[in-house]
Amino acid sequence: MRNLVHTTIAAGFAVALLWLTAAPTPAQTAAYRPPRAADGHADLSGIYQALNTANWDLEDHSPQPGTMWQTGAIGSEPAGESVVEGGTIPYKPAALEKKKANFASRRTNDPEAKCYMPGIPRANYMPYPFQIVQSPRGIMFVYEFASANRLVNMGKPEEAGSDTWMGTNNGHWEGNTLVVDVTGLNGLAWFDRAGDFGGKQLHVVERYSRPDPYHLNYEATIEDPTVFTRPWKISMPLYRKVEKNAQLLEFKCVEFVEELLYGQYKKQPGK
Amino acid sequence: MIPRVAFLALAIWLSLPGQTKTWAPPKTPWGDPDLQGMWPGNMGVPLQRPESLGTRTTLTDAEFAQKEAQARKQAQADNESTAASDSKTTIGPPSYWVERGTPTRQTSLIIDPPNGRLPPLTAEEQKLRKEARGGKGFPGEWRGQADSFDDLNIYYRCITRGVLGSIIPVVYNNGNEILQAPGLVVMRNEMIHETRVIPLDGRPHLSPSIRQYMGDSRGHWEGSTLVIETTNFTDQDAIGSNGAGYPGDPGHHSVDLKLTERLTRVDADSLNYQATIDDPKTWTKPWTILIPLHRNDRYQLLEYACHEGNIAMGDILSGARADERKEAK
Repeated sequence: MRNLVHTTIAAGFAVALLWLTAAPTPAQTAAYRPPRAADGHADLSGIYQALNTANWDLEDHSPQPGTMWQTGAIGSEPAGESVVEGGTIPYKPAALEKKKANFASRRTNDPEAKCYMPGIPRANYMPYPFQIVQSPRGIMFVYEFASANRLVNMGKPEEAGSDTWMGTNNGHWEGNTLVVDVTGLNGLAWFDRAGDFGGKQLHVVERYSRPDPYHLNYEATIEDPTVFTRPWKISMPLYRKVEKNAQLLEFKCVEFVEELLYGQYKKQPGK
Repeated sequence: MIPRVAFLALAIWLSLPGQTKTWAPPKTPWGDPDLQGMWPGNMGVPLQRPESLGTRTTLTDAEFAQKEAQARKQAQADNESTAASDSKTTIGPPSYWVERGTPTRQTSLIIDPPNGRLPPLTAEEQKLRKEARGGKGFPGEWRGQADSFDDLNIYYRCITRGVLGSIIPVVYNNGNEILQAPGLVVMRNEMIHETRVIPLDGRPHLSPSIRQYMGDSRGHWEGSTLVIETTNFTDQDAIGSNGAGYPGDPGHHSVDLKLTERLTRVDADSLNYQATIDDPKTWTKPWTILIPLHRNDRYQLLEYACHEGNIAMGDILSGARADERKEAK
């Protein structure tokens, strides 16, 4: 009996060893083929959220206190590694100065603090979920933060009209990858709480693909010749919410920021 | 309740020209009735019917001719103001920006009660409205000088117009778009950029502990009609033609509001939007509105960055403070 157990264990090890050292089988290496949506393209629909510190700072950063000592560790900034290809954002000198000024004034000037629509790419890596709905009318991105949303036109590309926070979004498929070309951005949004920003000529090309059932790979190429010396790229995974009956909830933050924005104009007691 | 409402809607629908009973909506590739499209609202039908019209749901030929004449006169005035400079610009947009709508014969959005009027408020709600905020009333009803931003209603604050305020036609931002995907429907409103992603999978509502301005919506199909039931509301907004609670608007509602929307395509280019407001704490009876929507694929739904561009709030409050300083001298 004892021998049999030993033999079985040994055989088990041998099988495991064989499996580990053998040439990978097709099932192990074949690229994941995402399920199909009604339109026959890869199904990217679902609720996703980033799990990183990109919204604090796209670049490498050490931990540091937040802008309000009153909120203690709760408002402090965790460390994080850069999501920028090559590590740093290629700012022109004047733009880098502006980024530093943004950082210095972030408590009141970060559009996130003011509950403004986050723009692209920031909307995708804020600490709030968003939902992709793949519809025959286009691909809808619905964000929990500030009820922001955008409809990606999958038909004949449309030229940007007036500038907006969430941009003019034209999409197409490259195999299983959704490519979204974003123009018409108003240049008022920031990319993170560190004050990174784009300008009036901001152009973002996003790529979404589904490497497995539980993630999206997100990439964005960012260019604006008025701010950057060359186009640059960020990339990160986005994580699918797998909770049963997951749904977006409401985060209408306007009423949370009125004291910050308008408190100075309120009637003061006794006056 | 429902059969009578259904009958009234049917009666109005049958009274419109060109309807046939045999029309069935197309299906999505996955087999749901296809309601997708751009369905902008049409300004011009009052929420409540003038009492003089009694239970009459449509205008007479003479009344309609008068309404059309008024519309022509307004269009002419708008054209003239387009031609003129903007020198007369006041606090509002120039008149030619305003969506006037196409005249229709419908006498009121409210189709039930049959008199087209809001049912009476409960005694509890009357007391609440009178005593709210130390006698000032809810922000929607109060017209005084603002001490603070929360003296102003959600219209000025750019928070939201709520589910109904986002779809009841007004003079701007009437875009409504419906998108579908397997298992869900998306209702998108131009007003303040609202989007409701509505599950059709029969899941339960959120816990009553979670409250949302836009509520928590669940949808299902009854034949070719999409039925959306919404609960979990806050009591912080006001139902109204602009969500602002102007005199004559329905105004404040309670957290117990249950909203039932019924969306039915009646032909290739028409969709009837019907909503029943059931809030026994606020109104003594449920009431129902009917908003006929018409497809307009050329309508472009634009981003309404209301809060981001809210210059008015700072101006209203700082203006009020300036007035106080002047009076103090």
